[in-house]
Parts: sequence; structure tokens; C-alpha cells
Amino acid sequence: MSLGKFLALDKLSNFFNVIRQNGGIRASLYKLYRQDDVKDGVLVGEDKYGNKYYENPRFFYSRNRWVEYSDKYYLNYDGSQVPAEWFGWLHYKTDLPPHQDPSRPHYKWMADHTENLSGTTAQYVPYSTTRPKVEAWEPKRKDSV
Amino acid sequence: MNYVPFAGSPRINIMQAIKALGATSPNTVLSFMKKGVFTPVVSQIRDTHLPAPNPTEKRPYSPFQDASNMAEMAVARLDDLLNWGRKGSLWPMTFGLACCAVEMMHIAAPRYDMDRYGVVFRASPRQSDVMIVAGTLTNKMAPALRKVYDQMPDPRWVISMGSCANGGGYYHYSYSVVRGCDRIVPVDIYVPGCPPTAEALLYGVLQLQKKIKRMKTIQVWYRN
Repeated sequence: MSLGKFLALDKLSNFFNVIRQNGGIRASLYKLYRQDDVKDGVLVGEDKYGNKYYENPRFFYSRNRWVEYSDKYYLNYDGSQVPAEWFGWLHYKTDLPPHQDPSRPHYKWMADHTENLSGTTAQYVPYSTTRPKVEAWEPKRKDSV
Repeated sequence: MNYVPFAGSPRINIMQAIKALGATSPNTVLSFMKKGVFTPVVSQIRDTHLPAPNPTEKRPYSPFQDASNMAEMAVARLDDLLNWGRKGSLWPMTFGLACCAVEMMHIAAPRYDMDRYGVVFRASPRQSDVMIVAGTLTNKMAPALRKVYDQMPDPRWVISMGSCANGGGYYHYSYSVVRGCDRIVPVDIYVPGCPPTAEALLYGVLQLQKKIKRMKTIQVWYRN
């Protein structure tokens, strides 16, 4: 163990490293405002929506892989905006990100990823495809009311 | 006097109108008010569905972007401010009924840490904003649930947590279980699962925050 590490000076160098990697004081503060966290890490990949995926093994397991949502989402980001290809890597199902994994199936019938659209006009509403088993009784209207 | 309030014979029509309104005794008026005259207004404030977002488009903070004049702009920004305040300090009333309550305890614990979203458990219904119905709602418990809901001040929301609260779940065919707590109280967010993970419940809380962000409390009073 070096003297710097013994005196915890590496934390200081880490701090400046984090600010440098996030693009200066102003950009770091903006990132802190937007996602409540500034970290240093290696950019592993980017999906087609512009979300960036990072990794840093210095952090403990479950904190060492994270996503920084695309700038266009601003504060309206949501866990469902991570597409299915990256979900497995982000949740430690696999160590191979989608662009390094040759064994992933690609069929033409595979649908595009959609985020959770609840609360919008495109939300999913369940419906039944079978004939109703119960026939409801509709009483005759009385004319004299 | 040329004034005729209704067409045809005025006297008969006025009597009929009064009879139709049921305005003869104050009790009928009172019960009519209790049955929810304000329900359409309240649902108009709460149920605002936005058009589906385009995944490639930029998303501004505010969901109200179609203001056409200064007054509309002003009420929209006031709504933004109000909704920001409301979604930033959601205090849930704990209504832990069964095993789901254990998962509800987990989101209060350090790993999921709901405090960072301003969500703090409050044991009193008079001081809470949202009720998390966690677990099987039995027939015996239903009046108590409704009473607690009625004690909460407006605006109030309900998160139904788990299969049992959503629709009876495993106990759907039991003689003593309410088949979904939405038969007792109006539910905003349904969290599926048996029990849902603490992550799922946290996601439900975030979805509720999204819903609160769309509320048009002040805007409905301006030329809606």
C-alpha cells in the first residue's frame, strides 16, 4: 500500500478524475441535478435511442454497471427506456454487451422496443378475445316512470 | 310581463322541473351532492392522458406545451409548480394487509431507499397523500379501508399493490375476500406481482409521480 493510498489521497484524485470525465464543473453539476449521481467509468456502448452504458469495477457489484439516459429525455427518463438487448447486460444476466455477443438471435419478426406507454393514448388496455360465458340479464324498461 | 321561462304552459313546466330536480326537500339535495356531483370535475383534473411520446423527440420537463396565449401559459406554469411540489413529497399511508407489506417495508430500507424521492411513511391518514394497499383485502377489512381513505385529505391517490389487492389474486374465489380493492376505493396505480418486488413498487411510485405531473388542477378553471 502506497503512502497516498494510506492517507486516502486517492479519493481526492478520484474526485478530480470524476469531474474531468464528466466534462468540467458545470457539466458535472448538471449531471448531478439530472441523475443525482456523478461517476467515472468506461463507456461500454450506446443503444439506438442514445442511452449510454458504463461500467466501473471499482464500485461494488450492482452499482458497477449503469445507464445514463439520452439527453433528449431530460428528466423524463424511466427504467423501461432501456431496450431488451441491453437489459441483460445491465442486470448481470450476461457479461457480453449486445455488440460483442454473436449468439444472439435476430429474427425479422422481432418487434421494436417500446417504453412503458401507460398514461398516454397509446397505453395497453387488456381485452378479451373469447365469447363471454355469462349472458347478462337485461330487464325490460318500464314505460311509466 | 312578457317573460315566459319555458315553452308551453309555464306553471306546469316549472313544477315538473322542480320535481325532476328533486329540490323539494334539502335532504335530497344533500344526498345528491354526496353522491358525487364533483366526480366529473375531479376526474377531469386527474385523468389527463397525453399523446404517446416519440422515442426520437426531445422531451421537455413540462407536459403542458400547447399554451396559445399568456394566460394559458401562466396557469400551465402554476400547475407545473403545484405538481412539482406534490410529486416531490408523496407521503404514503401504510395499509399493509399481508405479505406484500414486507416488500413495502423493503422500499423504506436502505437498498431501495424511498426517502430519496421524498416518499416518507406516515402513520396518520390525515397527513398522508397516497395509500398503498398492500395485500389481501377481506370483506371484514373493507369498511376500515374505506374509512381510512375517507379520512385522507385531497388530493389523494391509491396504489394497489399485488395480485390480491388488484383483483383478488389467489383468493379471488374465496367467500370472504374483496375481489380487488378498486371495488372499495378508486385506484391510480396497479402494481402486479405476487408479491411485487420492492423494485416494482418503487417503479409504481415513480409512475404515480409521472401521473401527478400531468394533473391539471388550475388549468381546468381557465376556459377548459
